[in-house]
Amino acid sequence: MKKPDGKVVLLGDMNVGKTSLLHRYMEKRFQETVSTVGGAFYLKQWGPYNISIWDTAGREQFHGLGSMYCRGAAAVILTYDVNSLQSLTELEERFLALTDSASADCIFAIVGNKVDLTDDCALPPDENRPEKSVASCSSKVRKQVCAEDAIALYKKILKYKMLDEKDVPAAEKMCFETSAKTGYKVDYLFETVFDMVVPIIVRQKAEGPPQTVDITDYKPAKRTKSGCCA
Amino acid sequence: MSVKAFKLVSAVEREMLMGDKNYINIECIECCGKNLYIGTNDCFIYRFLLDEKTSTAGKITFAATKQLHKYLGLKKPVSELKAASALTRLLVLCDNTITLVNMMNLEPVPTGARIKGAVTFTLNENPVSGDPFCVEVCIISVKRRTIQMFMVFEDRVQIVKEVFTPEQPCAVAVDGYYLCLALTTQYIILNYNTGVSQDLFPYCSDEKRPIVKRIGRQEFLLAGPGGLGMFATVDGISQRAPVHWSENVIGAALCFPYVVALDDEFITVHSMLDQQQKQTLPFKEGHILQDFEGKVIVATNKGVYILVPLPLEKQIQDLLASHRVEEALVLAKGARRNIPKEKFQVMYKRILQQAGFIQFAQLQFLEAKELFRSGQLDVRELISLYPFLLPTSSSFIRSHPPLHEYADLNQLTQGDQEKMTKCKRFLMSYLNEVRSTEVANGYKEDIDTALLKLYAEANHESLLDLLVSENFCLLTDSAAWLEKHKKYFALGLLYHYNGQDATALQLWVKIVDGDIEDSTRSDLYEYIVDFLTFCSDQDLVWKYSEWVLQKNEEVGVQIFTKRPLEEQEKNNINPDDIISCLNKYPKARVKYLEYLVVERKIEKEKYHTHLAVLYLEAILQLKSVTTDNCTEATELLLKLRSLLQKSDLYRIHFILDKIQGTDLHMESAILYGKLEEHEKALHILVHELKDYHAAEEYCIWNSENRDMQYRRRLFHMLLSVYLNPSTSDCALVMAAVDLLNNHAAEFDASLVLQVVPDSWSVQLLSPFLAGAVRQSIHTRRMTQAALGLAQAENLIYKYEKVKQRGTPILLSDKKMYKPWDVHGQVKEKDSSVVIRGFLWVTDRGGQMERLN
Ligand SMILES: Nc1nc2c(ncn2[C@@H]2O[C@H](COP(=O)(O)OP(=O)(O)OP(=O)(O)O)[C@@H](O)[C@H]2O)c(=O)[nH]1
Ligand SMILES: [Mg+2]
Repeated sequence: MKKPDGKVVLLGDMNVGKTSLLHRYMEKRFQETVSTVGGAFYLKQWGPYNISIWDTAGREQFHGLGSMYCRGAAAVILTYDVNSLQSLTELEERFLALTDSASADCIFAIVGNKVDLTDDCALPPDENRPEKSVASCSSKVRKQVCAEDAIALYKKILKYKMLDEKDVPAAEKMCFETSAKTGYKVDYLFETVFDMVVPIIVRQKAEGPPQTVDITDYKPAKRTKSGCCA
Repeated sequence: MSVKAFKLVSAVEREMLMGDKNYINIECIECCGKNLYIGTNDCFIYRFLLDEKTSTAGKITFAATKQLHKYLGLKKPVSELKAASALTRLLVLCDNTITLVNMMNLEPVPTGARIKGAVTFTLNENPVSGDPFCVEVCIISVKRRTIQMFMVFEDRVQIVKEVFTPEQPCAVAVDGYYLCLALTTQYIILNYNTGVSQDLFPYCSDEKRPIVKRIGRQEFLLAGPGGLGMFATVDGISQRAPVHWSENVIGAALCFPYVVALDDEFITVHSMLDQQQKQTLPFKEGHILQDFEGKVIVATNKGVYILVPLPLEKQIQDLLASHRVEEALVLAKGARRNIPKEKFQVMYKRILQQAGFIQFAQLQFLEAKELFRSGQLDVRELISLYPFLLPTSSSFIRSHPPLHEYADLNQLTQGDQEKMTKCKRFLMSYLNEVRSTEVANGYKEDIDTALLKLYAEANHESLLDLLVSENFCLLTDSAAWLEKHKKYFALGLLYHYNGQDATALQLWVKIVDGDIEDSTRSDLYEYIVDFLTFCSDQDLVWKYSEWVLQKNEEVGVQIFTKRPLEEQEKNNINPDDIISCLNKYPKARVKYLEYLVVERKIEKEKYHTHLAVLYLEAILQLKSVTTDNCTEATELLLKLRSLLQKSDLYRIHFILDKIQGTDLHMESAILYGKLEEHEKALHILVHELKDYHAAEEYCIWNSENRDMQYRRRLFHMLLSVYLNPSTSDCALVMAAVDLLNNHAAEFDASLVLQVVPDSWSVQLLSPFLAGAVRQSIHTRRMTQAALGLAQAENLIYKYEKVKQRGTPILLSDKKMYKPWDVHGQVKEKDSSVVIRGFLWVTDRGGQMERLN
């Protein structure tokens, strides 16, 4: 088995489409999925590097595994369903804490999936539109979560991680809206993330095997929601 | 989904152990080499000798023979057994105490060394001490939240470390300094050397019995939520996706690449490579599942069974047989580290090839190609699937055992023509790709011949490319095939490539003549001409020259006129032979002579004369049939004139004789010109042709490369022809005036003035006169300038002379006089020299004296 050089983890509530997104990206198609049990793992060759991508299970039952999957991750893709405000709220309340074990310079992407189900997936997200009645749309629905909400969450994450907006990729760049069903922006999402992961891999490699060192480093910083010394 | 990875074989039947004493249960087992130990609930330890037998059919059975049993005398169950073969000790946990007994006779060590207060214990399979006569034992102590590390020697034990855990531990595995612990609510990794711990994931040990199993260097397998088998490294990360067991797994074991799990009804087998469940064996009432040095043993309360792994190769072959390529390859790759390198490579290559054929049969050509490539398939295996493609002479025999189940393509496609075509197209592209790589080494003939056959059959344009570039097509096989598919042109190319140009030409000529049919090239005639042009076999050229010329004289003659230069230099074909051959083909003959005279510039009188005569005859011939100036005649005339003007080699009188009496005035004028009979020529031009412009031109080109005088003579001659008193043609007078006015410079004005009629007005000749006067003034001024310059030069010399006289030059006899120093030269042999025109001598004293 090839040893991966870096890790990307998909987190998010069950049913938001994590498995479908990965499947769309890796196999270029969309097919019915079953709710993920435990987690699954793919290897992707990206330039000279092997990136492992972990598809985690959103089900509450497996929630405890998330922290281990995130350990040392170079990127975390937080996924919600644009038609479920709850799924976005869950990201903050339930999943964000799992990323404490990720690499210190881990990057975050926030992905609203299933835009194909909404009436305005093709429109620019930041447009200020007058309130439209849901009934006026035939099969599609007004989406529940707009891009601003995702951007706001991204900024909250930075605050939580005590990161300066200047030091990390801009919120607009790291918030995506996708559709695993149509493939809309799926490649773009993963490729953007991988491109950003490469410098982290390079740095990690330069610093030598991180884990053995990191364990001792992590200890004092562990689970300090109030923040650690900068 | 199922693979047969294991077979369940009974090892110890209940009768052997307990006879009819039903209350006896198996509590624990241990296996070390051939020794199988069993601990029972009534405090006995049994030792069996386990003999593996393989029947002739390859069936493996185990025969266990009881060696001895030993009562520990505690009336408590024997809860764990671990062998330490390096110490020949068996570690026995009974009643919270670990005792050391002799592995063979099960007698306690005389020292009575023991570890007290152990709930459970495990051995460190990756010991840190480095002492081969010591095993490291880790126990969960009866003390709350305490783990203890011991070093166990042959007859003593020594505590090394005691660590405390945040919660009560209930299962432990060790690797080096790392403890993997199941605590009450979670799993953790704890480095007992540094005390650093790392959370893995939460798990409720009260609800379900945790499993902690070391599966390799720094990696553990853990029972996770929802019946997961989770992998975790000592770094606290997961490198493999979890396997999905049932909710009530009670034991797990590893037999690479499989993870085996036991629940109350089944033994399940998952692959660590793709996490898929591979096999399920019904097994009721199992309560122990453990692996010992690669041997997986399960036990119920009453009996012991062994899970015998089927040879990997067999498993892989089974997978391939059910067309599960992906899984087979994963399994094969996973087996790499368990099989010696050379053996593995041979095996793996073969599997790749087999997998390739499976993909191929499913028309998954891209995948097939990749597998063939990486499996370094002997391409002939593939070719041999296609009937008749391998040359009859090929020595190839398919490998045995066969790489696939198909006799040939017909069977594989079941006669489906569309599939057949696809397969053929694939082979074409595949062969084309590999033919120039090292894959083809050793059987290029087979490959190229097969490719030729495929191309020919499919009417593929690359057939010709193949034949005109370097190839290894076998002649007899390919020829028969091409003939069968009526690819005669290609067949010709094949013959040509094999040095049989005569046969090739014969075929092509037949095609052109319509004797056989092949529409490959509509311009085959031109192709043949071209072929002959570059054909070095002159016999062939001669043989087909007649045929070629008969078809088309003008194109056909190229076989002589366009021959490559290097051949001409060797001058292989005698032009006279060619000319005599061409006698029957006048157009070709003219072309050939033009080629000799104009292009190659051969300076031989007979060619030049011959060509001129041919032109002439053709012109006269044309003139005799039509009076109009047809373009053909004009063209010929121009050619004739140009030849007559430019060449100096033809026999002038001979041509002149032929031209006499015809109306080819211009041409006779040119001929007279060649004879220097300019007056006659000009006379013709002026009086016969009345072409004054031509007359002027005549003067110009006839005086080309001659001196001024010559040109003047011609112009004066023309003038006098114009002014011939015998005619008083007005037109001639005008011509004369124009001539003078336009070419003033070509005349000697004083001579002109003598001959022009007195009646002419100055006005008429004013441009001429003005020109003449200007010329004359110009000449005068030029002369004056030259004179001035000469005088100036003279003055400089005089000055030099005076300067030289002022300072005499001393010359001695010994000193060599260097003439270049003083711009002079030695004139007389002794000591007289000329310097700047003066003669000097040196006297005895070395003084120089001027003599003139
Ligand atoms: N319309 C639409 N449906 C989607 C899309 N992505 C996923 N789905 C559907 O949503 C359901 C859940 O998708 P999954 O990919 O299994 O979701 P998941 O996030 O992996 O869920 P867990 O594995 O339980 O955490 C499936 O029925 C998918 O077909 C999408 O972009 N558009
Ligand atoms: Mg999923």
